[in-house]
Amino acid sequence: MIESVLLWVFALLSAPLFAGVIFKVKAFFGGRRGSPLLINYYTLFKLIKKGSVYSTSTTFIFKLGPVVSLGAVATALLFMPLAGHAPVLSFNGDVIFILYLLGLARFFTIAAAMDTASPFEGMGAAREAYFPIICEASIFMILILFYRLTGDLALARYFSGGQPFGLWQTAGPPLLFVVMALFIILLTENARVPVDDPATHLELTMIHEVMVLDHSGPDFAFIELGSFLKLFFYAAMIARLILPFELGNSFLNLGLFSAGVLIVVVAVGIIESVMARYRMDRVPKFVLTAFALAFFATAITLEFLK
Amino acid sequence: MNLFLLSVLIIVSGGTLAVFLSRQFVMMRWVAVLSIGSGCCMGMLDALSRLISDAPLAFSIGHLSTLGLEFRIDGLSAFFLLAIFGICLMAAVYSFNYLSHVENRLSTAVSYLFFSLLTASMALVVTAANMLTFLLAWELMSLASFFLVVLDYQDPQNRKAGYLYFVFSHVGAMFIIVAFGLIYRDTGSFAFDATALAPPIKLLAFVFAFIGFGSKAGVFPFHVWLPHAHPAAPSHISAVMSGVMIKTGIYGILRMYVILDLHTPATGSLVVIAGVVSGILGVVYALGQHDLKRLLAYHSVENIGIILIGIGIGMIGVATQNPIMAVLGFAGGLLHVLNHAIFKSLLFMGAGMILHKTGTRTIDALGGLLKRMKITGVTFLIGSLAIAGLPPFNGFVSEFLIYLGSFRGIAGNPEVFALSLLAIVGLALIGGLALACFTKVVGVVFQGEPRSPAAEQVDEKGPAMLLPMLILAAGCALIGIYPGAFMFLATKAVASLGLPYGRIPTLPFAHLSANITLAATLFLAAVLFILALRKILYQGKPMGRGGTWGCGFTQPTARMQYTGSSYAGSILEFFKPVAPLQEDHPPVEGLFPSTTHYHSQIHDIVALHLDRFVVAPVVWLFDKLRWIQHGDIHLYIGYILLAIVVLLFFV
Repeated sequence: MIESVLLWVFALLSAPLFAGVIFKVKAFFGGRRGSPLLINYYTLFKLIKKGSVYSTSTTFIFKLGPVVSLGAVATALLFMPLAGHAPVLSFNGDVIFILYLLGLARFFTIAAAMDTASPFEGMGAAREAYFPIICEASIFMILILFYRLTGDLALARYFSGGQPFGLWQTAGPPLLFVVMALFIILLTENARVPVDDPATHLELTMIHEVMVLDHSGPDFAFIELGSFLKLFFYAAMIARLILPFELGNSFLNLGLFSAGVLIVVVAVGIIESVMARYRMDRVPKFVLTAFALAFFATAITLEFLK
Repeated sequence: MNLFLLSVLIIVSGGTLAVFLSRQFVMMRWVAVLSIGSGCCMGMLDALSRLISDAPLAFSIGHLSTLGLEFRIDGLSAFFLLAIFGICLMAAVYSFNYLSHVENRLSTAVSYLFFSLLTASMALVVTAANMLTFLLAWELMSLASFFLVVLDYQDPQNRKAGYLYFVFSHVGAMFIIVAFGLIYRDTGSFAFDATALAPPIKLLAFVFAFIGFGSKAGVFPFHVWLPHAHPAAPSHISAVMSGVMIKTGIYGILRMYVILDLHTPATGSLVVIAGVVSGILGVVYALGQHDLKRLLAYHSVENIGIILIGIGIGMIGVATQNPIMAVLGFAGGLLHVLNHAIFKSLLFMGAGMILHKTGTRTIDALGGLLKRMKITGVTFLIGSLAIAGLPPFNGFVSEFLIYLGSFRGIAGNPEVFALSLLAIVGLALIGGLALACFTKVVGVVFQGEPRSPAAEQVDEKGPAMLLPMLILAAGCALIGIYPGAFMFLATKAVASLGLPYGRIPTLPFAHLSANITLAATLFLAAVLFILALRKILYQGKPMGRGGTWGCGFTQPTARMQYTGSSYAGSILEFFKPVAPLQEDHPPVEGLFPSTTHYHSQIHDIVALHLDRFVVAPVVWLFDKLRWIQHGDIHLYIGYILLAIVVLLFFV
């Protein structure tokens, strides 16, 4: 139990570091030295030291938005088995609770954006409401497959212990599809290229960055931390799937797990460096690919398990 | 005399007294609200005690020698009674300040009369124990609500809505009568008992009943009346109609299921597919609406879909001998009946407050209401979170149960697997779309800057209007965080469905509710912790206020905000095949363009094609048959003669 809580704290503390790796990868591809690895910590401290300016149009929801979204992701991480260890909490159906909790976070992020009466933020909010709908359907499709394989509906049953290895053994090839689908979902949910571009500000094509334009100070720090945690949350799932091994020692396990997360964020960085963002009306097709992959994976296992 | 009958009598007498007291406007309202309210209170407590103590009650009023009025209150009835009396009580309290225009004295009195009749007839519908009693109560309910829809008859749109509702409710009733007729043909009795029927006849009767009850419940494609009728009625009536009246359709489907004792997967498949289609299309059409109350009405179609998914999953569970799936499905569906009653009436009451204070229901003409309507805004926000199925509010709990039930079917045979997959993906899509729709409503109506003068100078008054909204919002949070007791009530109702296995174990439900409570509490604790942290971090920091950054524009106007139409635009584009969008927007030309306009309308494909494929052929047919009715009295006498001769010879 104590170990689980420690791992949770590790997740909270290390998430900004993993997100910082993406900058380094992009700098490498751009032939630059790039910002230091700890850049995200510096940003968070800088933001926390500042005050805030609030728009006269806003209400209390604007201030509540960052708090709820950070709280939701932090709670979601409580249910995520990290490094193969059992999570702090787990019950049958916790996946559904977590997905809807992330939905609540989205609701408040959107509401906070709409609170500013800015047309740009409205535009971002509309897209933020649109693309995750397809993501959610894809995740549930993946859950259907996982339920079929394990007969359970809890994150702990999929990703803790040697469980992921068992998944590969029962349904290897389809699981490759699942990894790809999860990666697409990660890119979409975390506002990454090719769906969204976290580097540019104030273009008509932005989603997440434009929604948080008017936030500043500690509020903005909460938003940033929340998005680092969210990236970590999705990366943790994929990390356990691509490196499903058990090393016996919890430190070695943690190292392996960190390597998995590192692989995921490096992949994100590479994709951001070599790809351009899609035109907005092409994005739904890209996200639908994730659904199709998950669907085919399930269809294939249907034959396998008979 | 039993308590139930007494409460119905008190309710009806309250409405009747209101008509006689219509000259004393204030006293009439007091009398009506107090008696309808106290009657509802009594009925609610009676239903609750009956639900807990598990003691069915049957009684009859048999003055007519051939057809007696028989009533029976079992767990299922008591559960629906709880919702009906509870919501009507809230609506009655709300109406005290809502109907405050002295010049509408007579129409207020009439509205109380029909409101009380509607309440009483709904209570009678869910307790009727034979077909004739049921149909009598059903017709009374349809008529009472029809008069409430056309209460504001000066508006031609309301008259049209009333006409549409009248046609649909009677065509629906016709289907129900056919279903009952099929049962009567084989059993020869009006009692609610059809176990002796042959399976094909049973299925046929179920399909007819499903169409009939579905048209009352607003199941796609029989929902066409609903988005017209709900906005036309006064807001507290919309709350009752949408919150509980359409649920009598769900009650009817469940009751027919019990009566027919029909455990084939076919019924479950029918119900699940109808549920998924209603759910998705209901919320898609809701996204495209510009009228707040119409938008809420379409969400009833969506939520009826969710309820049907739950019930259908339950039916499949029964048919495939999967008790856990069955109980989870039915319990989820029934709990969603209660939950939807709570948050939908809350939302309609909020919409009523907006209409009362701004005089408009157009979403794109509002904005920034949250600043001056604190209680309405916060309760509406809670209702929105609940209807989008987000934790820690009540909508999540019932959807969670339905999800769990559906996942149980994943392990089943291919047919069950396919339906479960449909239910799960359908629910996920519905959840995402509902979130999009309600961020649109909250964002455009309550946040940002006012878009019209009507939205600028508003306030909220009327404790009788605010109190029910507060109570209902508290209910949303209570069920969301502590669902245990309500799950217990729902399982009691499921138990009375007479499913072919023993008692429903309550232990798994206790675990479930404890888990939800724990998770919700943890989340709330995290939020409180971060709030405290935020307070500390902002201590002694400069906090400024300024305008929203307009990206270089120095003279932004409220008209530049994102509107509801633009917000929903891209999502609607995705659903173009089922929701054709019609836009009217002349292009902007020249260096000094003249004024332009934008108008968009989303077409309900059923309403669109109903005209072409049903109404037009029927009109054409009757046009061709017009020669029969030509006004010559001799020929009419001839028809009668002919009819008698034919009957004499052939019957």
